Amino acid sequence: MLLKLAWRNVFRQKRRTILTLLTMTGGFFLSSISIGWMNGSYGSIIMFFTNGRTGQIQIHHSGYLEDPSIYSTISDYQSIGAVLDSLPGVRTWAPRIYSGALLAVRSGDAESGNVFSNSAAASVIGLDPSMEDAATDFSSNIVSGGMLTASAADSFYYATGQIILGQELSIILDASAGDSLIMLSQAADGASADRKYVIQGIVSTGNADIDRNTCYITLADARIMFALSGKVHELAVMTNSLGTVDDLTEDISARLSGRDVETDSWKTFAKEFYNGMKADESSLKVMIFIIMFVAAMGVLNTILMMVLERRREFGVMKALGTKPGFIVRMIVLEANIMGIISIIAGSILSTGGLLFLSKHGLVLDPPINYGGTVFSEMIASISPDCYWIPAICVIITASTVSFLPALKAAHTKAAKSLRTV
Amino acid sequence: MVDTNVIVAEGIVKTYDDSGVPVHAVRGIDYTLTKGEFTAIIGPSGSGKTTFLNVLAGLDTPTEGKVWLSGKLISEMSGRELSDFRRDHIGFVFQAYNLFPVLTVEENVEYIMLLQGIPPAERHKRVMNSLEKVGIAEYATRLPLQLSGGQQQRVAVARAVVSRPSLVIADEPTANLDSKTSGALLDMMRKLNEETGMTFLFSTHDEIVIQRAKKIVVLRDGKLDGNTSPEKFE
Repeated sequence: MLLKLAWRNVFRQKRRTILTLLTMTGGFFLSSISIGWMNGSYGSIIMFFTNGRTGQIQIHHSGYLEDPSIYSTISDYQSIGAVLDSLPGVRTWAPRIYSGALLAVRSGDAESGNVFSNSAAASVIGLDPSMEDAATDFSSNIVSGGMLTASAADSFYYATGQIILGQELSIILDASAGDSLIMLSQAADGASADRKYVIQGIVSTGNADIDRNTCYITLADARIMFALSGKVHELAVMTNSLGTVDDLTEDISARLSGRDVETDSWKTFAKEFYNGMKADESSLKVMIFIIMFVAAMGVLNTILMMVLERRREFGVMKALGTKPGFIVRMIVLEANIMGIISIIAGSILSTGGLLFLSKHGLVLDPPINYGGTVFSEMIASISPDCYWIPAICVIITASTVSFLPALKAAHTKAAKSLRTV
Repeated sequence: MVDTNVIVAEGIVKTYDDSGVPVHAVRGIDYTLTKGEFTAIIGPSGSGKTTFLNVLAGLDTPTEGKVWLSGKLISEMSGRELSDFRRDHIGFVFQAYNLFPVLTVEENVEYIMLLQGIPPAERHKRVMNSLEKVGIAEYATRLPLQLSGGQQQRVAVARAVVSRPSLVIADEPTANLDSKTSGALLDMMRKLNEETGMTFLFSTHDEIVIQRAKKIVVLRDGKLDGNTSPEKFE
């Protein structure tokens, strides 16, 4: 009887109910689209950021992230690689060596002779060209010159003497592909290290900050330069899906327990980036709150009108012996019936909208720069979040705004309402 | 307390103070209603009929005085106790019918038994029995707005008697009906009173009700102004 009464009461004032349903459905739809869009954008940004450079998971010597020392190396990385290769969630992985150096480039004009007049400090990344290409598609970002020549061994005889500069760094050094370059640094054995390289290419990663202070040499060259024979600092792991990263990190960590290494997801090693994402999520929550607040005002207006119009009816119910709790439940149920209808209608509309936006993203003109990475299109993604978060918000909103009017209706004085209405 | 008394009211005073100016609606009434009565409370507008009826029915609390209904002191019951008591002991017929517009005739009559927790089969049997008694069983599946005023009031009577209460209180039940319909409704209620022994208490100015009442109680300026028979009243 309670459900029957509530259901039929909802449709007593059809026009008003339809307007309320439109408000609630609109609230659901906007929230759902916002979440889908944000999730899609975040997903794109995270995948772009991690696929293009860091990977979604990284393995380092224990303590390397807190204190990235040249001495904190992984010496048996090939066996770790074998473990990674056995995991279905791992797409590929790439070994890297990190250090710093002073770069100096000989001025291009003939009069300067052997004077290396342009210099800059830079981060040096040693990488395996073929594995790096498989992981980050590194060579696709080369804007002039070519990719480093692959060289598997770390013997002096396999050194290529090639270097790739970030685009902004090449501008600072006034260098271009084919120029010679001197690198000065300190090796892991304590000796000073210097070598001459030929600039093989110029790379533009899409992140100007990185391109301003980074250069790349082969893993073999880096081992020779920094006296790190057979060692690396990092294994960057590329996964098949962002959603599996946390579980995969735990799995790898468990499989590598006993070794002096640590396994972290992008949320840990790219903490600032992750925190930036979380901060943006807060703005999404504020937006959903505002949308739901507007919808709540519509529902509140309807419920208040309904309670006012039915005062006499509540008086009769009370006179006949209806308990206040029954009336409260009936009115809250009426609001929730409207909520459920809105959720169903909103879900259908949202699915259509999200499908469209997941195929035809919003072109950003001009493109936005997020943490140095430039994005030119926002694509929505469909996930359970797009449905259950707005659904919970609608139900909470409907229950909250209907409760006080319901309480008021439940405490209607029978004699007074029958006398005055 | 004698068993045949349905209502015993002692020194009932009801004063409203809603607007800051006290309004003395009922000014000290002692009254007893015995089982099986078919009594009309009459009096001019503003004489306190509805207020007195509300106090007797436990819809309103007296400012002073005590009311016993079926031997229970209802004037000192809590809201929850009164609610349960009204549900089980009093049937109401209102001037404006006050049926639930979203429920069918059958569901309107059934409503009170749902509150009482009566099983569905028993409910259905009693609903149909009540509707037959008031001569409206054929309209069981209709909504109230699909019925005439007289038919709606018959449904209201069926709703009032279906739970077999000790007392049926009817506040101006014929005020919105024409004389022919009013007469038929009162005849039907009187028949119910005679067949079941159920006690009826009306407030009215309607001569049709007065003519059919077994006893008349006259109220004037919030006080009892006599207790008489319809013949003497005429």
